[in-house]
Amino acid sequence: MSSTPNPTLAAPSGAANRRFSSFLATRPRLRLALFLTAPLTWLVGVYIVALAALLVSALWTVDSFTGEINRSLTLDNLKEVVTDALYRTVTLRTLFVAAAVTVIDVALALPIAFFMAKVASPRLRRALVVAVLTPLWASYLVKAFAWRSLLSEGGLLDWILGPFGIHSPGYGLTAVIMTQAYIWLPYVILPIYAGMDRVPGSLLEAAGDLGAPSALTIRTVVLPLALPAVIAGTIFSFSLTMGDYITVNIVGGANQMLGNLVYTNVGAANNLPLAAAIALIPIVIMLGYLALVRRTGALDNL
Amino acid sequence: MTAANTAIRLLDVHRHFGEVRAVDGVDLEIADGEFFSMLGPSGSGKTTVLRLIAGFEQPTSGTIELAGKDITGTAPFERDVNTVFQDYALFPHMNVLDNVAYGLRVRGVKKTARRQQAMDALAMVRLEHVADRKPAQLSGGQRQRVALARSIVVRPKVLLLDEPLGALDLKLREQMQVELKQLQRDLGITFVFVTHDQEEALTLSDRIAVFSEGRIVQLGSPSEVYEQPVNEYVASFVGTSNLFDAEAARAVLGAEGRFALRPEKIHLVAPSASAGGPQAKGKVAETIYLGVGRRVVVDLEAGPQLVVLEPSTTEAAVKRGDAVLATWRTEDLVRLT
Repeated sequence: MSSTPNPTLAAPSGAANRRFSSFLATRPRLRLALFLTAPLTWLVGVYIVALAALLVSALWTVDSFTGEINRSLTLDNLKEVVTDALYRTVTLRTLFVAAAVTVIDVALALPIAFFMAKVASPRLRRALVVAVLTPLWASYLVKAFAWRSLLSEGGLLDWILGPFGIHSPGYGLTAVIMTQAYIWLPYVILPIYAGMDRVPGSLLEAAGDLGAPSALTIRTVVLPLALPAVIAGTIFSFSLTMGDYITVNIVGGANQMLGNLVYTNVGAANNLPLAAAIALIPIVIMLGYLALVRRTGALDNL
Repeated sequence: MTAANTAIRLLDVHRHFGEVRAVDGVDLEIADGEFFSMLGPSGSGKTTVLRLIAGFEQPTSGTIELAGKDITGTAPFERDVNTVFQDYALFPHMNVLDNVAYGLRVRGVKKTARRQQAMDALAMVRLEHVADRKPAQLSGGQRQRVALARSIVVRPKVLLLDEPLGALDLKLREQMQVELKQLQRDLGITFVFVTHDQEEALTLSDRIAVFSEGRIVQLGSPSEVYEQPVNEYVASFVGTSNLFDAEAARAVLGAEGRFALRPEKIHLVAPSASAGGPQAKGKVAETIYLGVGRRVVVDLEAGPQLVVLEPSTTEAAVKRGDAVLATWRTEDLVRLT
């Protein structure tokens, strides 16, 4: 019976543990400090410092001749990003793609989430949650390349829809939107599903009981109550699309989004300060969006 | 009872969930303007019957009629029946007035008219002053009354109430019982009331259906159900009863069959007193003070225990260990089937 812990042998370390526990039990501040030190160090040290470094490096410049970074602070990069027509065009294009992806994802996610939360049997619901989560386990790159082959000339899409006179849109913005809408869909479905799951079934019954047909029940009860969750979902699809540069490289043809500009400036152009300045655009847009939706309670649904 | 004054009629209604027969052949007629209670423990099928009438469930077989019209298979929003839910089911994103006006809004009533009617309904439950609040800002009793107002504002033929007082504390529950009864009299709407609280059912109802395992075991006025329970189940579920099985009946009563005897029908006298009629000698095993009276447990010489409810006015209270003679009237003894 060697596997049975021997109480007399276990006693010393157990007693020490107990002493330590009772020492902590009366010192809530110390307890909190021990609990939060590691995550706070990571959050402040890595995340916030990196963000601050990004902001600061956007104020630097690169000597175009030597390629050396000049660390004197100037607003030139920010001015260029705000005034140059190229950046404005790419920003608007990125915004358009992010908005289109978000609209498509919400339109797809709403009925799926409603079905999962309020119609499906518990068994089917579990199966659907797994089905929604499964694509997240596959590599992002694999999915993007799968869409590349799907959308290619003579690819699966052409082969299936060709007989109906519909052709693959080919590589371009439409392909980017389709691919991104596919990739980010689970991130939109899950919060909306969770939000609708929190709406008690009796509310839907009450609406029907008081004379509202299904469509009216959904419009007057389900959607208003699920709105914060829907917005939570849009925060995901919108921000993830805004920052993407891989999909657009794979299926986007010659189009560029903000992510590409950052990427080329870090790499080929070797202009880290300008890349930092460009990277601030989506950050500012997302901060604006978050500030806008803060009042709806969406941030409590993330 | 003719079709003209029948509000609800259930004909051989079944509702099975897989193997479970939640409702197993219920026939029922509820008259117009009646306060009808469905009483039973959880899982007895009473709530399922309510949900079948409301249309949230469809019967496996059988028909449901509302005012003589077959409504089996119609959707809840097509039925002139409203429900007060156990959890009240108030819409959290609307204020009290919009909640109450919801039924009018989906019927297309104009805004000013529906606000007026909703305020009138709120006035009936004396809650005009909370019209602008959200349900989360109300107390349990207030939410209950808002749910009530929301259901009666559309003037349904029948109001279904699913354990509406279950979540309230005792004092509030008693107060709401009075209000419910008054409201029902004033409106003249048929109330179908589901409860597991036998006292509530006895207090409020014109008639009571006692449910067990998906069937109605007894249907009658409160006094019928209380005074003449048809079987052991009803006798013990509605109030408390001293039950005599065949053996105990032979030993104590000297009679064949099974019987029930209510605790308050038994009187305790000194063993020396000469009393006519049925009686049994025993010894007091326990006395419990209840405020309105005293519950006395007597060990009978013949074997079984007897629970007796003595009014608190009895001057000489019996004590533990006292020898007593329990007496009752023959007509208070109920023969069970």
